[in-house]
Amino acid sequence: MDKHQPINSEPGILKLSHAQVFLYLLLAVVTILFLFLTNAYVFRMNFEDWQPLPVPSLLWVNTCSLVVASMGMGWAARAAKANNKNNLRTGLFVGGLFALVFLTGQFWAWQQLIAYGYVLADNPANTFFYLITALHGLHISGGIVAWIVITKKSWKTDDAKSRSAQVSLLATYWHYLLLIWVMMFGLFLST
Amino acid sequence: MEQNAAYEGQQIYHPKGWWGHYVFSQDHKIIALQYICVALSIGLIGMFLSLLIRMQLGFPGLFDSIDAGSYYQDVTMHGMIMIIYLLTALFLGGFGNYLIPLMLGSRDMAFPYVNMLSFWVYFLSVIILVASFFVPSGPTGAGWTLYPPQSILEGTPGGDGAGILLMLVSLAVFIVAFTMGGLNYITTVLQSRARGMKMMRMPLIIWCIFLATFLGLLAFPALFVGAIMLTFDRVLETSFFMPEIFKGGEVLDYGGGSPVLFQHLFWFFGHPEVYIIALPAFGIISELISCHARKNIFGYNMMVWALIAIAGISFIVWAHHMYVAGMNPYLGFFFATTTLIIAVPTAIKVYNWVLTLWHANIKMTVPMLYCLAFLITFLIGGLTGLFLGNVSVDVPLSDTYFVVGHFHMVMAVSPVLALFGGLYHWFPSVTGRMLDDRLGTIHFWITFIGTYLIYFPMHYIGFLGVPRRYYSNQQYDFIPDSVADLNQFITICALIVGASQFILLYNFVNSAIRGKKAPKNPWGACTLEWQTLESPPGHGNWGDQLPVVYRWPYDYGLPGATADFVPQNVPDEQIT
Repeated sequence: MDKHQPINSEPGILKLSHAQVFLYLLLAVVTILFLFLTNAYVFRMNFEDWQPLPVPSLLWVNTCSLVVASMGMGWAARAAKANNKNNLRTGLFVGGLFALVFLTGQFWAWQQLIAYGYVLADNPANTFFYLITALHGLHISGGIVAWIVITKKSWKTDDAKSRSAQVSLLATYWHYLLLIWVMMFGLFLST
Repeated sequence: MEQNAAYEGQQIYHPKGWWGHYVFSQDHKIIALQYICVALSIGLIGMFLSLLIRMQLGFPGLFDSIDAGSYYQDVTMHGMIMIIYLLTALFLGGFGNYLIPLMLGSRDMAFPYVNMLSFWVYFLSVIILVASFFVPSGPTGAGWTLYPPQSILEGTPGGDGAGILLMLVSLAVFIVAFTMGGLNYITTVLQSRARGMKMMRMPLIIWCIFLATFLGLLAFPALFVGAIMLTFDRVLETSFFMPEIFKGGEVLDYGGGSPVLFQHLFWFFGHPEVYIIALPAFGIISELISCHARKNIFGYNMMVWALIAIAGISFIVWAHHMYVAGMNPYLGFFFATTTLIIAVPTAIKVYNWVLTLWHANIKMTVPMLYCLAFLITFLIGGLTGLFLGNVSVDVPLSDTYFVVGHFHMVMAVSPVLALFGGLYHWFPSVTGRMLDDRLGTIHFWITFIGTYLIYFPMHYIGFLGVPRRYYSNQQYDFIPDSVADLNQFITICALIVGASQFILLYNFVNSAIRGKKAPKNPWGACTLEWQTLESPPGHGNWGDQLPVVYRWPYDYGLPGATADFVPQNVPDEQIT
């Protein structure tokens, strides 16, 4: 029986599962959160005390590691669908590892900026940079909690396919956070 | 049943032990009750604060404990508690949780665990809010809009303590709770409807809660961002919102920020918030009016599209709260226009309610009394809104009691009337007992007449130009003495109305224990929540089999049927 079409209920919209609807809505809320931050950023930018801060080149490396993390998660999702246990585990491992590399790198970038004297309260451009990277980092951290839970389960079972739904949700979340990061990075670079 | 539940594609959690049943429950009905109890409790505190405010205005200087500082603290906390922690939580967390699964023929919310978390995080936000009463120098007195720069400076009442921080943190936590609940409500409405329950067969209250939740999910992030940035400004002395500030000749660390940016963020949330509260009230009225007038709702499709239009337009009217902040006249013109446009779908709804009553078999039950009171009150509040929506009228009236009269009529009294009506209507479904009608009628008339005696005079005081935020009106020549008399009168009425709420409370407690046993469907309603196997509905709501829906929710007085209503789960061939 198709679990998305329970016989005694109306079919859900677009044949999505409950969890998919929940996640897509959550991502919509996350989008709006960053949209408001961008709005405020652009609004505040036009005031005369705004002094753009130099974007550390380390962020390029971080962006690459987030891309690799996202690819790893995507690989894991495809492996789970194909019931390939080993690839699932490798994908999850690579994804999680590079997500942690990204977070460490972001933290390091903060340290660099502080060392160069771009502290948080000196200029609104600095504050926005710290605020936006921190909020994005928090979302990544939330993803890592989910990653830990799902990875644990995937290590316990040989039936990779049974993890497919969860892992593909995880991958979706990761792709989306990558997209948001690219947008925010673009915002920093262009201003 | 276990197998059945899996077959239906719906998960259901079976609680273990007393704690699992009543405290950390994942059953939507218990969570709804928890929301209602916590919201009503904090609402009582909010009402008590309003009486303190009235005491100062009616009898200035009677209590030594109410000085200017504590007056502003009371005003701030009264506003915030009533709008966010009482009404938003009660309508969406309380009514939403109880009614969505029952009315849609579902076993529970799509994600019961997240639902439980949502309540406990809400509870945490209430605790943080209440904690601010107990910190040194008390809660913030910045006004409920929390406008910077004054809200985070030390000179503000409560500003040298942790009050403002606790308020901001509490709001952020509340928003997290709301997001968890809200995602759940929308997922449930989209995914977990019983067979036959098409979107256009959903009861209007479900449409209302559904759209109000959408509004909340889209609008609350603006407040979240505003609250976090304001926290940064307060704690880390950043300058998102803070302009250059001189204090006693010295320059503070702030500089260059824009207070108006906060106003935009706040009101981008704040105006949809009006509809987050109003839409569920509309929904309750739609259900009650149809059921207690024994007539189908007039223009169901039009009602749904009007709701969608209101929800959409409510996002482009926010700056009408900011006319006096110094706005480009063209922008003001735009927002005045959208504000008047939103009156159109709202008027459609009011006309449809009135047309539902036309030639209906109106039963003067307590819920119906509340419906009629709501219609009148909402009309009056809405009409004064048309005054304030126009820039040239708003500018002189904006800082007067006219505004207090207007918004209390339209978004305090109206939703509360709908709320009371809803509580009377669904009380039998929750407890299996009826509320006492006599006490209910007494409570209704005191509340209804009382609120008019309180808020009508405020419009006149406002026209006289009495400023709304002042602690004392005594030393101003332009305010005539008669205002003081009127203020005394209002205060006495407010005390009576405040005291009469204990009739409701007594009625609740007494009826829940000793009330008359309710029949299964006491009002003869068509919607599914009254068609459960047991009454009150048991765990999992529907016994072995989910209901199947054959018709829309308002089949009252169907030609050819002997009963004057046909429930949604009765097929055509079973109509007798």
